[in-house]
Amino acid sequence: MNRWRLLAAAATALVLSATTACGGAGGTGGEPGKTTLRMIVNITPNLTEQFWTGLFDLYEAKNPGVTVQLELTGTIEAEAKLRQDLAAGDPPDIAQHVVPTPETAELFVDLSGEAWAAKTPLYEEYAIGGKHYVVGVGEQIQSLVFYNKKAFAEAGVDATKIRTIAQFEEAMGKLKKAGYVPLQTAGQWVTGAQFTMLADAGVLTADPEWTVKRKKGQTTFAGSGYMRYYQLYESWLDKGFIDKSSLGLQYPDGQAAFLKGDSAMYIMGSYFVPAADDAGKSDDIGVFPVPSDGAYPPGQFGNMAQPYTVVGQSENREAAIDLVEWLVTDEEAIKIQLAADGNLRKGFAYDVSSLGDGVQAILDEAPFVIVKQGERQPVQGYAEELNTRIQSLFTGSSAGDVATKLDQWWDSQG
Amino acid sequence: MLAPAVVVYTVMTIVPVIVAVYLSLTDWNGFSTATFIGLENYARLFDDPDTTRAGLVTLVVAFFGAVGMLGLGLVYALQLKERRWSNSFFRTLAYYPHVISALILGFLWSAILGTNGAINNTLRDLGIGPVGFLFDENLAVITLVGVIVWAGFGFNVVLFVAGLQTVPRELIEAAQIDGASQRQINRRIVIPMISPVVTVAMVLNLVGLIKVYDIVVSLTDGGPAGSTETIAYLILSRSFAGTDVGFATAQAVGLMVVSAALSVVVTALRNRQDRAAAS
Repeated sequence: MNRWRLLAAAATALVLSATTACGGAGGTGGEPGKTTLRMIVNITPNLTEQFWTGLFDLYEAKNPGVTVQLELTGTIEAEAKLRQDLAAGDPPDIAQHVVPTPETAELFVDLSGEAWAAKTPLYEEYAIGGKHYVVGVGEQIQSLVFYNKKAFAEAGVDATKIRTIAQFEEAMGKLKKAGYVPLQTAGQWVTGAQFTMLADAGVLTADPEWTVKRKKGQTTFAGSGYMRYYQLYESWLDKGFIDKSSLGLQYPDGQAAFLKGDSAMYIMGSYFVPAADDAGKSDDIGVFPVPSDGAYPPGQFGNMAQPYTVVGQSENREAAIDLVEWLVTDEEAIKIQLAADGNLRKGFAYDVSSLGDGVQAILDEAPFVIVKQGERQPVQGYAEELNTRIQSLFTGSSAGDVATKLDQWWDSQG
Repeated sequence: MLAPAVVVYTVMTIVPVIVAVYLSLTDWNGFSTATFIGLENYARLFDDPDTTRAGLVTLVVAFFGAVGMLGLGLVYALQLKERRWSNSFFRTLAYYPHVISALILGFLWSAILGTNGAINNTLRDLGIGPVGFLFDENLAVITLVGVIVWAGFGFNVVLFVAGLQTVPRELIEAAQIDGASQRQINRRIVIPMISPVVTVAMVLNLVGLIKVYDIVVSLTDGGPAGSTETIAYLILSRSFAGTDVGFATAQAVGLMVVSAALSVVVTALRNRQDRAAAS
């Protein structure tokens, strides 16, 4: 009997301690009137922990009853971190860099009723079933080719004349002859992302509904405009326009190699601008839209910059919404965030380098921004699968293999 | 007296395993209601090319990693078994990587072996092209195993040195009087006598390496082209990060079963060998 009592006591203690642990550190703090908001943030070379702390110091100074606690993602993506927290029964209040999908929308607070939310960038483009679960600070555009002005001058290439793929290839040939690696890439996620920045501008400008059609089985990777881009990429590797050893570089190393002047061109998003500014290289670098065989300039593959969601299970929903409102509507907060990551927003100018001006000019001239959200969102895991397949071109796969395997993978996702 | 331990073990180990097995039989996406789908996720394990490839990589890493850690650990321990200050220094040196986070070790070696890393920059200065430690599919796996062995063999050294110090000195002296060489002594007396320690180290190494994740993330991030993705990496970086938690759990249960089976098989083989040696 005593043994059973002991067992029951131990079990009760465990359940109580587990329940307490699951309560987490969030929620209203011990002091009356004090609220601690826990927020998942993505740490990048531009958006450092120091950046976030400084930003939230501003908010805390204006809202003495609120403390913002950073939830760092470590080695995993922000979305995986959110899932871990939810599975552990320890939900954060806000998640940055998590974009809801039709499958995950139920996790987040619908901000459709917030008047301020409708004025934020790409608000409509990110709607799911007419509801708005995410708001952002600005826009990022990504179909950009940054180039080394010195390399172009030495190779006798005029960047303003590069509009078509053929002209781009001709330029790469000249740059290679001049002793430069024509196109800089890197391993990790960079390989697939750069491919997307280039290929989506061509394929999705020609057919913005391509992803919707692929989901319905009305088109395939092998039988569409993407096939040409796999073939192009394969041929560029064969011709030495892309250095195969670049796959052994991490993202910051690839960026550093381009900034150092080892390579002539670097396809990257607008968030490259602050890195060039910090390195004091902005005036040595120019930018033009990715080439296209169709309309020029093509649409810019882009997305919401610094997206914020309020987690549905938050115990501090109102306070969390207030913080998100401040992040996406307060002029000072917006400018700090835009400048930190080189992002753009109509009506919000901040001190920007010549390179930043170049990116703004490209956005102004772009016919539209291609946003792959809502119905146009690829199936979950596509970016990772594409990255693996594009990297396989470096290690001997053919363009045909890439297209076939991507089609097989997509179809297997049900 | 055992009750508290039983409760803790049940709540912390058995219950999560039961929950994991249940979730692996569902289509749970991590947040909404789970629907029971039977063995569908397990059937997918065998059909999914990514899982098959990651499974093979995991087995290669576990096998060669364990062999390397055991072999190097044993050689190192045999050299350092005597109690001398210099041996203590070298033992500490061998153990040192083990106390550093595997993530940091991965980043460190990535900086050394990457395309623009210290070694390749030196090779370039000598007019030799970069070696694909991290960008060649096959070499990247070898690099991964090498770094794992370097990082982990020190743990085995500590175990083996402790085991070696239990070998009776008289036995070795008797063998020496009989004219046995050092190699014969090691092969016929020392290694058989520390075989239980070797078995423990082997099981710990295999089980640890079957779950290897952190060093993969920081050294290769699963690349190039997925060639160094292990099952644990796949579970955490792909399946769990997506909405495929039911499938991720099936992968985890599969990993647990393989891990347990390996431990049982290795221990059984060692026990049989020990019994044969004793009879």
